[in-house]
Amino acid sequence: MASPTSALEEQTTTRFRLGDRSSTLPALVLILIFFVLPVLALLARSVTEPVLGLGNYVELLGSSTYIKIFFNTFFVSALVTVISLLIGFPVAWALAIMPQRLATVIFAIVLLSMWTNLLARTYAWMVLLQRTGVINKALLGLGIIDKPLIMVNNLTGVTIGMTYIMLPFIIIPLYGVIRKIDPALLQAAALCGANRRQALTSVLIPLAMPGMAAGGLMVFVMSLGYFVTPSLLGGTSNMMLAELIAQFVQSLVNWGMGGAAAFVLLVVTLSLYALQLRLFGAAGEGGR
Amino acid sequence: MTPFLEIRGIRKQYGPVVAVQDVNLTVGRGEFMTFLGPSGSGKSTTLYILAGFEQPSAGDMLLSGKTVLNTPSHQRNIGMVFQRYTLFPHLSVGDNIAFPLKMRGWSKADITERVRKMLKLVRLEGFEDRKPAAMSGGQQQRVALARALAYDPPVLLMDEPLSALDKKLREEIQHEIRRIHHETDVTILYVTHDQEEALRLSDRIAVFSKGVIDQIGTGAELYANPATRFVAEFIGDSDFLPCIVTDVVGGKAAIRIGDGICVGAIPLHGKAMTGGAAMLMLRPERLTLLPEETPHTLAARIDDITFLGNTIDIAATTGDGNRLSVRLPFGHQALQGLQVGAQVRLGFDPAAAHVFAV
Amino acid sequence: MLLNFNSLGSWKWVLLAITFLTAAFLLLPILFIAALSFGSSQWLIFPPPAWTTKWYSQLFADPRWLDAAWTSFRIAVMVTLLSVVIGLFAAFGLVRGRFFGRTLLRALFMTPMILPVVVLAVALYAFFLRIGLNGTTTGFVIAHLIVALPFSILALTNALEGFDKSIEDAAVLCGASPLKARLLITLPSISHGLFSAAVFSFLTSWDEVVLAIFMASPTLQTLPVKIWATLRQDLTPVIAAASTLLIVVTIALMLVTALVRKGLKA
Repeated sequence: MASPTSALEEQTTTRFRLGDRSSTLPALVLILIFFVLPVLALLARSVTEPVLGLGNYVELLGSSTYIKIFFNTFFVSALVTVISLLIGFPVAWALAIMPQRLATVIFAIVLLSMWTNLLARTYAWMVLLQRTGVINKALLGLGIIDKPLIMVNNLTGVTIGMTYIMLPFIIIPLYGVIRKIDPALLQAAALCGANRRQALTSVLIPLAMPGMAAGGLMVFVMSLGYFVTPSLLGGTSNMMLAELIAQFVQSLVNWGMGGAAAFVLLVVTLSLYALQLRLFGAAGEGGR
Repeated sequence: MTPFLEIRGIRKQYGPVVAVQDVNLTVGRGEFMTFLGPSGSGKSTTLYILAGFEQPSAGDMLLSGKTVLNTPSHQRNIGMVFQRYTLFPHLSVGDNIAFPLKMRGWSKADITERVRKMLKLVRLEGFEDRKPAAMSGGQQQRVALARALAYDPPVLLMDEPLSALDKKLREEIQHEIRRIHHETDVTILYVTHDQEEALRLSDRIAVFSKGVIDQIGTGAELYANPATRFVAEFIGDSDFLPCIVTDVVGGKAAIRIGDGICVGAIPLHGKAMTGGAAMLMLRPERLTLLPEETPHTLAARIDDITFLGNTIDIAATTGDGNRLSVRLPFGHQALQGLQVGAQVRLGFDPAAAHVFAV
Repeated sequence: MLLNFNSLGSWKWVLLAITFLTAAFLLLPILFIAALSFGSSQWLIFPPPAWTTKWYSQLFADPRWLDAAWTSFRIAVMVTLLSVVIGLFAAFGLVRGRFFGRTLLRALFMTPMILPVVVLAVALYAFFLRIGLNGTTTGFVIAHLIVALPFSILALTNALEGFDKSIEDAAVLCGASPLKARLLITLPSISHGLFSAAVFSFLTSWDEVVLAIFMASPTLQTLPVKIWATLRQDLTPVIAAASTLLIVVTIALMLVTALVRKGLKA
């Protein structure tokens, strides 16, 4: 049904109208000029520098160094996703059913952790995980180890750091999904004679699966493109794609390769989102 | 004399869909006119055109002889109450009612006085500082009414304002609306799909069907003399029997029903040819039960007898399989000894029946 | 029954244990940073031998840090203003307008939020180099605006969709022009959406790292950039102090948001 305002706007043809498609114009122009255009331009550079052609892609996908980086990126992302899911599921489950007061507190902690500055959190882990850091000191003191563990500038550091960042992105949506599950279904399972283990594997997990898959996919995609945490907590031997792109552009000033690597990341991300849309319909929120 | 409100040839089309085909009517000053009809009949659309929500595809609307269609909505000075209360949620009741007055540049003192007066009118004195969220549906609707009337609009539009309320509350507020109408003498255009509500509130009713007005008249006129089959069905209860027209004389038809019964001088609506098929309309409460052997009456078998409080509803089937219902007041003589399965005869006064051309 | 807390039996404790450990895992680093910023050891030894506020003094005495903080603040404010206004217009268009490709447009507006920031950062970096916006405040604001706008549009379209348009129509019938009706009636009614849009936009800009790294210049750095640059050299506790301040701002804003939400509901 129309409104008096839109009827009026049918009459006025020259003035700027609010509540019409034209009021999306500023945002549209902004996104087109400063988002779509630059990304396309970067893309163009990947096939025009230093010479016209797919040379950059050939180099990118042919060289073993770069392949290693791709592989490492996927591997770390997958690892982080799996660990986050393993930890996140029980936490989300607990949050969904624990007493309200307690749940609110825990939830607040999760939210706080998610919104706290990324650098601050990563810095914290840099300090905690260093050779003379608290964790090593505690482990040495307790006699669990007799030499300090090296946990920064390697896979361990990156994994811990990124899991820390990604956990809230699993817990919060999964919590929502589990809360929506009808308790009657689990009651029915119990009445049918299922013990807890059977109810878990045959009823709860399958019901929560869409939430887990969606959350997991989102975390995986986010991890693929992550820059800050891998750069600070990882070493040169496990460089990830985002850092590679930055290096091409900032240190090496090789726009062709930088553009090509960026495009590869973009394509993989978009494909995975398309997959998520196809399988689950809803779009998740992205990360930084 | 120029009619107060005149609606001429209004038509509204959305692409291929025609919501309002051709609506014409005049409303007198101070009249309570109801647009009655099912959803999609065009009654709300016509109202919205008057409010300025829509521009008509054709036609005109005149208030005191001047067209309103050129004026933008916020200058039409019309009051409106919606189905959803639409009070401004962040303003108090007093500020809600004061809003149109502020828009018109009234002084603070005048506004305070007017708000008090309006709240008194709708019997919500002292509610100035309440927030809408803290009030019941009925109260909110009364505030909406106060706000719509605050600036003395020449016309008040009401779009199914009571549909969201429960029955008891509805009747209460219908009573209030009637009282306020008498006290303020404002011209009201009311939209509803509830025929009882229309009959209770209105001076005149315009029955809408598929984008046109089938008939305009008082409730009694529409009941006693429905112009179309639709109006007959919409207002009051009705029974329909197929028949053949045997003669047409001066607006009245003679017909033959089912098993050869001939009845004459029944008011005819629409064009029917001799020998053509038509529908006979009878009011259940105007049928009489007669003993079995009465000639020239309809033969029927009783299927069911239902007690409805002050009336008895009798479901019957005629000889040729048509179902109809008969209403008799409780304790009526004809009911004595009446049983399901009995064969009876039904009689009716031709003058109170109607024939509709098919 | 698995979804009833009390009938889980021994599993209840397992779940609780995992949850508490995870909560501790999530919370402790944040507390650790705050504690570290008051520790006297330059080598970040924990527990520190003594407590001090000298890192904060150093922070506030250093003009480069203060400059970075001020830059962060003024950019975030500009981004917030632009994001809310442009987002408001876009939200009106998306919610009230009836045109082809509305869903597509909505999806397009959300894209900067879901794509890897590094791609945008590199692309804008190249683009700004070409048109001379590199290392300028304008370029910075634009870059942050692109990633803040989706949040703003999301919050505002949600708020506007939940707003009953008949209320605005009623205001017009009461005599308010469409513009007045929107200013006096609609906007106050979606104030929670406006507030959310503002807070999310501010925080997005305030905390943003990747774009900032590429948009910065030696003379134009936001707080995260300064921290990043310093981090690559050494792990001085001054960073802990700066980080704690960042965390405090976030917590403050979250608390304000929660309180405002409660207040607006009443």
